[in-house]
This record gives sequence, structure tokens and C-alpha cells, in this order.
Amino acid sequence: MELTVRKTQLLRELQLFQGIVERKNTIPILANLLVEADDGAAEIQLVATDLEIGLRCRCAAEVTKGGALTLPAKKLYEIVRALPDTEIRITQSAAGTVNVAAERFNSRMQTLPREDFPALPKPSGTGTVHLPCAALLEMISKTQFAVTGEDTRYFLNGALLVFSGTSMSLVATDGHRLALVSISRAIPEGNDENTKVSDDDEARVILPKKTLSELARLLGDGDDVLAYERGENHLFFDIGGRQLVSRVLDAQFPAFERVIPKGNDKRVEFERDRLTSAIKRVALLSSERSRAIKLKIDVGKVEISSSSPEVGEASEVLSVEYEDAAVEICFNAQYLLDFLAVADSDSVVLEFKDEMSQAVFSPFSTDGCDYTYVIMPMRI
Amino acid sequence: MDAFYTSVEQRDTPALRGKPVAVGGQPEGRGVVAAASYEARSFGVHSAMSMAKAVRLCPSLVILRPDFTRYRQVSRQVFDMYRSVTSLVEPLSLDEAYLDVTENTWGEPLATTVARRLKRWIREETGLTVSAGAAPNKFLAKIASDRDKPDGLTVIPTQRVEAFLQTLPVEALWGVGPVSARRLRAAGVSRLVDVRTIDPRVLRDAVGSQAGWLRRLAHGIDDRPVTPDRTVKSSGSEHTYPEDLMDLETIRDKLDQMARRGADWLGRQALRARTVTIKVRYSDFTTVTRSHSKRPATRDADQIAARAMLLLGRTEAGTRPVRLLGVSLHNLTSADEVSDEHPGLPL
Repeated sequence: MELTVRKTQLLRELQLFQGIVERKNTIPILANLLVEADDGAAEIQLVATDLEIGLRCRCAAEVTKGGALTLPAKKLYEIVRALPDTEIRITQSAAGTVNVAAERFNSRMQTLPREDFPALPKPSGTGTVHLPCAALLEMISKTQFAVTGEDTRYFLNGALLVFSGTSMSLVATDGHRLALVSISRAIPEGNDENTKVSDDDEARVILPKKTLSELARLLGDGDDVLAYERGENHLFFDIGGRQLVSRVLDAQFPAFERVIPKGNDKRVEFERDRLTSAIKRVALLSSERSRAIKLKIDVGKVEISSSSPEVGEASEVLSVEYEDAAVEICFNAQYLLDFLAVADSDSVVLEFKDEMSQAVFSPFSTDGCDYTYVIMPMRI
Repeated sequence: MDAFYTSVEQRDTPALRGKPVAVGGQPEGRGVVAAASYEARSFGVHSAMSMAKAVRLCPSLVILRPDFTRYRQVSRQVFDMYRSVTSLVEPLSLDEAYLDVTENTWGEPLATTVARRLKRWIREETGLTVSAGAAPNKFLAKIASDRDKPDGLTVIPTQRVEAFLQTLPVEALWGVGPVSARRLRAAGVSRLVDVRTIDPRVLRDAVGSQAGWLRRLAHGIDDRPVTPDRTVKSSGSEHTYPEDLMDLETIRDKLDQMARRGADWLGRQALRARTVTIKVRYSDFTTVTRSHSKRPATRDADQIAARAMLLLGRTEAGTRPVRLLGVSLHNLTSADEVSDEHPGLPL
């Protein structure tokens, strides 16, 4: 194999693979990138996978001699990043090594046999749905943080994507809080198959945590519309020619609708910035383990306080409009900050019933995007 | 405590009373039974059985996800009662403990009376039943407590120890697993008391370094004290196979089972582990161990089993014959110190 490729172009693609390749190094080939090209072609194809998720990209190149080889994805990225903006020459030598060279730099790397590289499934091309990239990216950023990394309840290791008619929702929960975003009229008319199932006109699929973050990375760099296809065991996302393949998380997501409280009769509105800074300050003296802060909600004001047995205590008072009975309600400060960081409105609303039942935060204004953040109070 | 997790569930949800109930994982996937109600046990369902099998045995089985926060609360309540009677309480798990009641705050001279009063008190306070064994030492008390369930009380006074020992099979010995038991039976030992008379060399061949300890137990001698609040640092099991394992699939299978049993144990202890270690002894007795640590600590069977498999990949098992496999869990932490104060959403 012999080819030349522009540094900036290759680097842009290689970056996208850094989250894909396996880092734990249990199966060596999974740390490698598969590079494939045909004789005389004007592009190369790059593939990597950790068997859970995979990415297929193309990159413009001048291919003198076609073939296929595998290279350590991380090392290749480091080398390419360190090179000046120039043409990079990649050449396969006889003895199973690969030369990566540019200007006066030369390097030689070990490869692993192409035959060892696992096959990455391809979409069938049927039942493709077109989804708006910006909407999906917004949904991911508003829910992603609530996905647990590691939970015995397998279904919580991903976010649930729901298609219902023309609206699209994404839900994530770690069992203590739940983030739900719905965007109505998100799906253009004329999409069918995957977004509908016969009975209830609704389709659901769990996107694993890693898929969410890699999808967000690709969406940030992309087009207006992505093509999505659900295969039997895999999900396929085509974003501007880059293809993300994710294994389907085989689990049943809980009936999240049940968790969203209906009878929250008390309501407080906060300025988002002031609430955020107050929580950040007060949380400095919260218990490091629980990160608990207390909201003492009373007529006309909310006192946010914390105490840590080893260090001390802190409090700050915010003026609010509130007429109901006084309530003391405890939350994990980090959970509130996670929400406040992505709720893009000037004010946020807290609705609650008492100090034990699920409370709901939401941005004050919603234009087409419905954002609900349910959070379980801590025990005082 | 009798069928502890399911008894708590049945106590708190009257609709479950009289029904076969199991607490544990889901039958799809590889969930196992953590506890089964007596109704479920009559179908042959027992703990550590795969939930899929449990459902086959008992199609009407009600499966509940474990709620360790609640079990721990009840456990704490019961342990507080124990500790109000004697300071010498040694927990074995959430629902099992040794109590040394030689001295007790009630001033009761007889262990039997203490046991009877405690049983009644626990029933009144918690609505749950307990099975107790009263005996001169831990070994006998444990066997006695298993004798009569549920809501039983078995007493072995000193003068009846010998008669009691005569009734026990060799499997009753502490530390004799199925493999050692099979070897002992092959050597002509079927009753516990046969261990006393067996040729010491034969005994040593069958059970190795445990020989002396088992011989003392066979005489009913066990002088281990009741140690309050012993903290568990690790747990593990290992198994020597009668014939060397050659086939990687079989090896993976055995290791998977051990890892899942370890996870099951963590669940019962309400602990999580950060470190999974496997041990592989090849046919030439060279032994390797491989360890993997990760935060946060877990008690998830799938994760622990998956990590054991990864570790196995770093040994020569499958290319070299294997005579012993082991899985152990270290760096244990209490399962839900945070979730106690942070209740979950009602998912």
C-alpha cells in the first residue's frame, strides 16, 4: 500500500477515532485503525471499532498502490498531529511494517494483520430516517450527563430515544434524577418505517453512553441532517459521510413516564445565573461524599445552605416569589449544577410537592423544545 | 432470619403473602435468585439458582428486584436488638449472626431462654421470623440453626453434643465442599464421626491442610470466639478439578460461575468490590494471578464475570492444562452508604 494524504485532512478524521478505539488494550487489534484503499483511488477509508461501537470515515488521498493495513490509532494520531501542515506519505513495507513519513521525518510502525480486524456491519439502506443534527445534538447535551457509567441496572447505561409521530425525545436517568427532552415536529414528514411501529405509533431504542458521546462529537462537526437506520443488532448513523455503528443495548428501559410527578403544587422561579453561582459557592462546604445542599424555601426567599462535619458550613439567600408553606428540601448540588449548565434560558422553574417527593426543574421558556429534569430529594 | 429478603417483601406488600416470591435478577439475561420465599422453595426454587430455571420450576413466581436499602434498615434494626442483649455479636451477613450470650443483659442463665425471648421480640418488633440454634460453640450453633426452619429453635446442650454429632453426614463439616466430600466418601467416610477414625494420611490426602481442623470439628471441638464487627477484607473461592481442564470454553464457564457466585456473595453482604483477581494453576503447579481494579466498586455479576474473562485472556489457560481456578474480590466497600441518604426514583 502506498499513498499520500494531506495532514490537516487526515488529522481531522483521526481525531474522531480517538474515542472509538479500545483503550483497555485487551484485544490488541481493537487499538488499531484499519486503512483501506483501491489502486489509483482518490480517497482512503478508515475504520475502527471496540466491538460495541465503530466508525467508518473517508479521507481524500492520492493512492498509488491500493491495499489494506492496520495501524495503532493513538500513535498514528500523535504522529500526524506533530507533523507540519504538509503531505504525509504512508507506505507498507514487505516485513509487515508501515512507514509514515513527511518532509524529512520518517517513522516505521508495527502493524497487525488486516485479517484480524473485525468486520464492521453495514447498513442495509432500507428504512432510513433523516433526522435534524442540531436537534439531536441539543437533546444529547441536555441528557447525556444523567447516564450512569456503570450500573447494575443495565438499561441505565444508555439514553432512550423515542420517536412518536413527528416528535423525538431522549431520556436518561441514573436512578436518582432523570432528564427528558422532547422536540416536536423534529422529524420531517415522509420518514416512516423506523420511526413508527404499527400499534402505538412509537419506536424506542436505547443509545449506549459511548454512542451518545461519539455521536455528539460527530454532530458538532457536521451537516444539517443525518441518516439513521436501525438494524437488528446495530444502529447506523450517517453524518456527512461518516458512519457510526453502534451495537443495540439489549435491555428494557423503565417506564420513565411514571417517574414524572403530576401533583407538584408548589413553584419557585429562579434566575439561572444567580442560582448557579449561589449553589457553586455554597456547595464548597457540602459534605464531599454526598454533596448535599439544603434549599429552605420560605415566603419571598430561598436559603441555600450546606454543612460538612469536618469543615464547616455555608449559606446564601436568594429573593424569590413564593407564597406557600415553608419547605426544606435537600438535593445533590452536582445534580442541580448539571441541569443549570445546559438549561439555556434566563430563568428556571422548580416545581415540588414536599421534601420527599420528586421535584422537577425546567427552563422557563421553551420554544419547541420541552426539557424536564426530575430529581429525587435527599433525606435531610 | 428466615428467607430474609422475601420475608421483608411479603411483610411490606400483603398481596405477596402466600405467593411464591423470589428476589434477584431478571430471568432474561443471567439473573440469579438471591432469596426465595418458602412458597417458592416448595417448587424447588433456591438461592443462587438462575432465575430462568426458577421460572421454569415455578411459572407463577413473582420476581422482585432487590431493595438493599430496605433490607439493610431491617437488618440494622434486628442487629440493634441483638446488641442490646450482648456486645458479642458477629455478623455473617445481613441476616445471620453469631451471638455469645454467656453474659447477657437480661441476666438469663440459659442460652435457650435468650434465644426464645429474642425470637419473640424480633417477631413483635419486625413481624419477621428467625431460626436459632443454641449450642456450646459456633460450629454446632450454625448447624443447629439450619435444622428447623422457618421459625425454629434447635438446642444442643453439652451432654447431647455427642449424640447430635453421630447423626451428621460428613458434608456438615465446616469447610468441606462438594469435592472434598466426594473424596472423603470415596475413602469410606460418610458420617462426620468417621473422620475421627480415618487414617490421618488418607484424611490429609483428601482435604490437605484442613485435616487437623476437621478432626477437631468431628469431635465437636470448635474454640473460635465470637468476634464482634469483624470486617471482611476480601472473599474468594477456588476449585481444584479432578481432571485438568483443557478446553477454554469449559474454563471460561467455570470461572464465570465462580465470579457470579462472588457477586452473589457481595450482594448478600451488601458490599461492593473494586478489585477482581483470578488465579490459575497449571498442571505443572505453576500458579499465576491476574488482578484488575476499577472505580467505582461494583457488585454487578455481569461486570465481575466480564472482568474475570478479560483477566483469563492474560493467562495461558486453554493452551496449557489447568488444574485449579479461583476468583477473589478485594477492596470491598459498603454497598449503599450514599444511597441510604439518597433515595432513588421510583423507576
